[in-house]
Amino acid sequence: MNFLKKLFSLVFNFFYSIGEIVNFFLDSIKFALIGKFYPEIFLKQCIKIGFNSLPVVGLTSIFTGMVLALQSYTGFSRFSAESAIPNVVVLSITRELAPVLAGLMVAGRSGAAIAAEIGTMKVTEQIDALKTLSTNPYNYLIIPRILAGIITLPILVFVGDIIGVMGGYLICVNLLNFNPTVYLQNTYNFVQFLDVFSGLVKASVFGFLITFMGCYHGFNASGGAQGVGQSTTYSVVSSSILILLMNYIITSFFFRL
Amino acid sequence: MRNLKISIKNLEKSFKEKKILKNLSLDIFESESLSIIGESGSGKSILTRCIVGLIDFEMGEIKFENSENLMKFNFSEKMKYISNFGILFQNSALLDSLTIQENLEFAKKKENYTKTLDEVGLPKNILNKFPAELSVGMQKRVGLARAIIKEPKVLILDEPTTGLDPIIARQINKLIKELVKKKKITTITVTHDMESVYEFGDYVAFLKEGKIEWYGDAKKINKSKKISLKNFINGIDEER
Repeated sequence: MNFLKKLFSLVFNFFYSIGEIVNFFLDSIKFALIGKFYPEIFLKQCIKIGFNSLPVVGLTSIFTGMVLALQSYTGFSRFSAESAIPNVVVLSITRELAPVLAGLMVAGRSGAAIAAEIGTMKVTEQIDALKTLSTNPYNYLIIPRILAGIITLPILVFVGDIIGVMGGYLICVNLLNFNPTVYLQNTYNFVQFLDVFSGLVKASVFGFLITFMGCYHGFNASGGAQGVGQSTTYSVVSSSILILLMNYIITSFFFRL
Repeated sequence: MRNLKISIKNLEKSFKEKKILKNLSLDIFESESLSIIGESGSGKSILTRCIVGLIDFEMGEIKFENSENLMKFNFSEKMKYISNFGILFQNSALLDSLTIQENLEFAKKKENYTKTLDEVGLPKNILNKFPAELSVGMQKRVGLARAIIKEPKVLILDEPTTGLDPIIARQINKLIKELVKKKKITTITVTHDMESVYEFGDYVAFLKEGKIEWYGDAKKINKSKKISLKNFINGIDEER
């Protein structure tokens, strides 16, 4: 009986949380359409989420490109297919690794920061204060962050794509004695618009997931410092899981094209 | 003749299974200062949040200047309703990413904030500082300035002296008393500091376990025969 009660409450809480997330999403859309837009806050968030994440994403991309080149060489040299390395590097980076790794990095960096900032505002009554100052917290806090995430993540990933390919280039040219011109020519000839585009679509969706989950968990934080810590953890964990899930869904969608 | 400002009838509010406000009724009159007192957890802050419209209630009604029941308001009506109130929050709730000037601008755009700061006893050189650079007492004063600058119809003071040393607390009480008298603004003060009640309360509502146990003239509070109220005033733990 006790087990059934626990199971029921678990299922109930799960669906209740989903309902709350959907509600939060619908409210965000509603206020984005009818409410005031704060361009200054939006630009600040673009810098915070996008520009300030550039070093982390750049480092992740360059090392991923370098590792990819080395690992591909190990495999491909066994059946004399070394010339395919530039193709594998550019395809893996643009389609998969740059968006996913950038997404996970930004989730850890900016998603956590968003949840902590909004969570602190919630527990210190700053969000209530905003309401009493006739400011809709959705328009002031949530929408600029979500928009900034949706717009800056593809830019970040595009820069990550270039840096990742250059990482592979550095290894292949300096360590594996590839001809630099041939490497770049191979890369340029092989890559298609859809490869880059699918990665950018993923990045945009990940940008939404990261900022949305950060805002949602921060907005629903309660119980002081512990609550803020918990909201930060939930934000990073949930957005990371959703990134991996959506990555599969978007990949299978583009796979059919 | 007392003019009714806010009428609260049969208000009920629960959190999960715990009932916080139980069938609570209370009238608040224009230009009067009402102090809501009671032990921690008695529902004082929840009551004021319901009055302001920051949290929803399950049953009952709250009417502001004979308007429609607050419960029936949609989001935009509620935002308009909330703008009738100026609130000094317990922790001041200044937006910590903004300077003091930007915090005040949020409430009302003005060319010069010197007069407002002067009213709450603050120097004008703090305008470019961030809230974290000020002492708790100064933050309370800025919070008060932000609450009164937009000339609200009702001023809500949530524990205005909590966390302050006795000297600063007395200064804040005195300041609030002067402002309330000067502006003749309807004031609701949530407190468990009897100094605040004696200083600027016209009427007192004593809350216990979500109900109003005693309501009356602040000057007569010490003559009340209500044991629970006497115990609260004298700081006697009833369970001992």
